[in-house]
Amino acid sequence: MAGNLIEVTDLHVTYRTASTDVLAVRGLNLTVGAGQSTGIVGESGSGKSTVAKALVGLVPPTSGSIRIDGDLVAGERAKGYHRGSRWKVQMIFQDPYGSLDPRQQPLDAVLEAIQHWRKLSKAQARTEALDLLKSVGITERQATSGLRALSGGQRQRISIARALAPSPQVLVADEPTSSLDQSAQAAILNLLRRIQAERGLSVIFISHDLGLVRYLTEDVIVMKDGFVVEQGPTDQVLHHPTQEYTQRLIASALA
Amino acid sequence: MAELPGAGLATAQAAAPGTDPQIVVDPRKPYLDVDHLQIGLQRDGLPLHIVDTVTVSLLPGASLGIVGESGSGKTMLCRSFTGTLGRYGVGITGGRLSIAGHDLTNAREKDWRPIRGRAVGYVPQSSLAGLNPVLTVETQLLEALGLGSRTLTKAQARIEARQLLDMVKIPRADAVLHERSHQLSGGMRQRVMIAAALALRPPLLVLDEPTTALDVTVQYEILVLIRQLREELGMGLILVSHDLAVVEFLCSQVMTMYAGATVEIGASENIRSRPRHPYTNALLHSRLGMAERGKDLVAIPGESPAVGAWPEGCRFWPRCSSAADACRTGAQPAPRLVDGHLTACIRAEDVT
Repeated sequence: MAGNLIEVTDLHVTYRTASTDVLAVRGLNLTVGAGQSTGIVGESGSGKSTVAKALVGLVPPTSGSIRIDGDLVAGERAKGYHRGSRWKVQMIFQDPYGSLDPRQQPLDAVLEAIQHWRKLSKAQARTEALDLLKSVGITERQATSGLRALSGGQRQRISIARALAPSPQVLVADEPTSSLDQSAQAAILNLLRRIQAERGLSVIFISHDLGLVRYLTEDVIVMKDGFVVEQGPTDQVLHHPTQEYTQRLIASALA
Repeated sequence: MAELPGAGLATAQAAAPGTDPQIVVDPRKPYLDVDHLQIGLQRDGLPLHIVDTVTVSLLPGASLGIVGESGSGKTMLCRSFTGTLGRYGVGITGGRLSIAGHDLTNAREKDWRPIRGRAVGYVPQSSLAGLNPVLTVETQLLEALGLGSRTLTKAQARIEARQLLDMVKIPRADAVLHERSHQLSGGMRQRVMIAAALALRPPLLVLDEPTTALDVTVQYEILVLIRQLREELGMGLILVSHDLAVVEFLCSQVMTMYAGATVEIGASENIRSRPRHPYTNALLHSRLGMAERGKDLVAIPGESPAVGAWPEGCRFWPRCSSAADACRTGAQPAPRLVDGHLTACIRAEDVT
């Protein structure tokens, strides 16, 4: 297993509520090499977003372990999410309208992230933030104006720039384009592919869209009700699904 | 055409009690007729257009998909078909709108009220949040059935409400009638919304992004349901979506809108195989289904212009790879016939 950037072993996540325990993830194993992409597909309630949250430390695993670059970052024997590894895994959320602070200038959103992760002077951090925003296609004028004037696609670019602030090794993208128009989706996916290639990032794409997973990933995990239904190379799983549920997902996707 | 409605629809509506205006379904005449329609408002004494212009007509029982980016005016156009523009502070500012034999261009709320649900069934965008959370499904269906305004006994209305749930193929309908929205899944809520829209058996159903928030398997079930309902009821359909695959699944005609205008309209198959507007062409090619792994997707550069900031000439020219000098001046080009359908591109013959 050497050389794997991400190594998830027998991950279980249970949400405890006053009345019941919700078994959101019930045993997931995953390895992703540097620069590789893995897709996690499934419907609402499948547990795919919980896997994403566990990877970045937003929810703690109930059992199992998550290793990043060899370090145990979360799991049974870890005490909280490993602080020294936090910068390595960054996340892009589904709704760019909800994930950015509407009162904050786009520049400040990225600046804040840079200053959180790195010790830079205000001026250096500002230059860096503008460079980062420029690399995702946001001009200085857009970066210093209000968020209101920006489209969903532009907001998602800002989220990407913010996620790149600590120069992470892993990007977890939870439905990054499902709230965007088709042409905006194309632009964002092109951008993500370019960034991944330039930075050698490993990317986990969480999606319900089999077309997106087919286009972007080498490996795929199909989840349902917290269980892994099927797992393997994307081409194999999508062309020769062995499980009835995967077959049904594929049959429901419109060309 | 193969899409004529069952004759029953027209007579059922004609039998509606009182002096309500008749819903005319004439197979030879467009049921919906939109002619150079403009929608907008006055800002600082100047007209601000949101839709400018749309021309489309739909025979009874026919189907039309409307595609375009956010802000292209699709949703406002649909609202004009249900007389609800006023609620958003806008109105029809030019052109003509007629539905079911009534000129509704200048119709006021009192004119719309006896027509609205009978002429056009409407399932708005984000309709998963469209049910009232404190009322039962039955109460909301009874409201849609017009209990109180129609001469309908409560007992009759309850039977009809139950029939509506059967029509949209809701399992355990008797129980669902007494449930509230939080007890229903997304797919079930959407079925209830469709049932409510069908309550007065309108000859035309308008669905605005009916499946965007749904899972793929549920989306598929809803699309199949809509298709079955059209076959059973002979009902016309207008479906708004940014997903061309969804539109093609259900609609024999497609209209592409860009910055408030009709830019291409025609038979779905024809447009799919021979798009003659660069915007539709780019939309078709930006689909993930068309993409090859490792290669860039076709993306349209830039952003669509905001309302009030439409460029001179063809509104698409700043983002168009085929734009020539002639595209940058004058008014938005009117759609003309090229290769069997209408396109607003003046260079359509050169678009591949």
